[in-house]
Amino acid sequence: MRYLTFALTKGRLAEKTLELLQKVGITCTEMQDKKTRKLIFVNEEKKLRFFLAKGPDVPTYVEYGAADIGVVGKDTLLEEGRKLYEVLDLGFGKCRMCVCGPESARELLNTNQLLRVATKYPNIARDYFFNQRHQTVELIKLNGSIELAPIVGLSEVIVDIVETGSTLKENGLTVLEEVCPLSARMVVNQVSMKMEDERIRELIRSLRAVL
Amino acid sequence: MQRIFHTPDGVRDITGSECDQKRALQEKLRKVFLRFGCREIETPAFEYFEVFSSEVGTTPSRELFKFFDREGNTLVLRPDFTPPVSRAAATYYEPDKTPVSLFYTGKTFINHSSLRGQLKETTQMGVEHFGDDSCDCDAELLAMTVECLLESGLTEFQVSVGEVDYFKSLIAKAGLPEETENEIRELISQKNEFGVETVVMEHGVEESLAKAFVSLSSLYGGPDVLDKAEKLTDDPVALSAVDRLRRIYDILSCYGYEKYISFDFGMLSKYRYYTGIIFSAFTYGSGEPLIKGGRYDHLPAHFGKNAPAIGFCIVIENLLLALSRQKLLKDTGYEIQEIRYLPEEREQAIRTAQKLRAEGRAVRLFAADKEVCP
Repeated sequence: MRYLTFALTKGRLAEKTLELLQKVGITCTEMQDKKTRKLIFVNEEKKLRFFLAKGPDVPTYVEYGAADIGVVGKDTLLEEGRKLYEVLDLGFGKCRMCVCGPESARELLNTNQLLRVATKYPNIARDYFFNQRHQTVELIKLNGSIELAPIVGLSEVIVDIVETGSTLKENGLTVLEEVCPLSARMVVNQVSMKMEDERIRELIRSLRAVL
Repeated sequence: MQRIFHTPDGVRDITGSECDQKRALQEKLRKVFLRFGCREIETPAFEYFEVFSSEVGTTPSRELFKFFDREGNTLVLRPDFTPPVSRAAATYYEPDKTPVSLFYTGKTFINHSSLRGQLKETTQMGVEHFGDDSCDCDAELLAMTVECLLESGLTEFQVSVGEVDYFKSLIAKAGLPEETENEIRELISQKNEFGVETVVMEHGVEESLAKAFVSLSSLYGGPDVLDKAEKLTDDPVALSAVDRLRRIYDILSCYGYEKYISFDFGMLSKYRYYTGIIFSAFTYGSGEPLIKGGRYDHLPAHFGKNAPAIGFCIVIENLLLALSRQKLLKDTGYEIQEIRYLPEEREQAIRTAQKLRAEGRAVRLFAADKEVCP
């Protein structure tokens, strides 16, 4: 039997995923050791391998078949736009992609004045403004602390993930529009889905039963 | 001036044994095509943009390498062979009267976004068959696909076959706006069952149809899938699509190739040009399909001849990668014999070399002492 390889998004998503896998009887003891410097973890009995990767890299590993299965946020899937099978909504990591800004920017959104949009997700922002709102905007790609941009005047609004909205509130920003809901998804390589049909189908079936 | 010694991103040199192996593989595939009675065709590396425009081609315009001729026409480096071969078939043959079967080998060029590990120049080989819309023809193309893979040395692979008419007839029945239709099409091809479920619920699709759409994502596997697909609908077009797959499967049994075939009703192309069966071949070691093909009966009409058409294309680089990862690439056994000679041995040496070369051996001659042999 060949190894089935899982690429998990480093951090909370990976923890949640392991919890979920445990429910269907898949464990990886090697991974629970927090101090380990290993990059890849093996469950010999079930012929499974796991590794952790940065979110945006997970779809890349899966698209090229370096991993058969991945767990990653919908935001990353939308942003990366890879050719994958998206087979399960795992239900955790729930949040929303939103256009946010100070209340005063709400009016600006509906005029045709120049609007600068700061975001970590330029593809999602572009698709939303160009193809759904049919509005020309200027996109500014940032790598973190996106909320800062409207406060210091780098942009009028931002497109970012909103979970509870408390960071926004503390900084005098608010959700102006919702782009789409997000949550963790299980993705599968297109070839693996065919070549390892039975094992992957069984996994999906058992996961669906506990979700 | 800064001298550049490396190739641009996405293209590369192929040398030595890798080149031998690639050539050997192409030669094997070429023989398969010839055995099936196909004729070879060469088309130019670049053509007018219109040949690859969005109604005809499958590569988005921004991924085409474009440039201009002196009259200001937009030219495109071919991203694939199907439109040019259809154009040539419509020009030089009469596929509307007699069937024509053509095969090609050549480089294709797609301007992928950088840093994704995708080559921008790949070698493709493939077949396009015009003028026959029977399921025997479908089966023969699939048999050829199987033989190409067997001939390449692969033993474990799968050819997954779908029928776009099945989905098309269901979606037509649902009468959804085009946007929703595209959304569902996209979700089904991503096997995103829960996504399909949400969309059909939102649009209040009638229950039995909704159930069929949701099931499409997981409607793949062996021939029992055909029975399941049949039970999902009573639409005559959808049923005849299933029936066609069943007949193709039966014909493939005559070839003895049915064990390589599986079905996938969720395999839909983003591109509407496919009109009947659509298929891909997979194996271990390559994250992407090795072969893609399908029926595209409306395409030749764009080039002035009304003829049904079906074809497939093999991406040689993917096939080589899979073969090497499965350790199936054999040494091509290319040996070079060296003959060194002194000036006084020249005549004899050359005679020996000519004799060996006439026998088909590879010989390189070396004059032993350059000082003495001007």
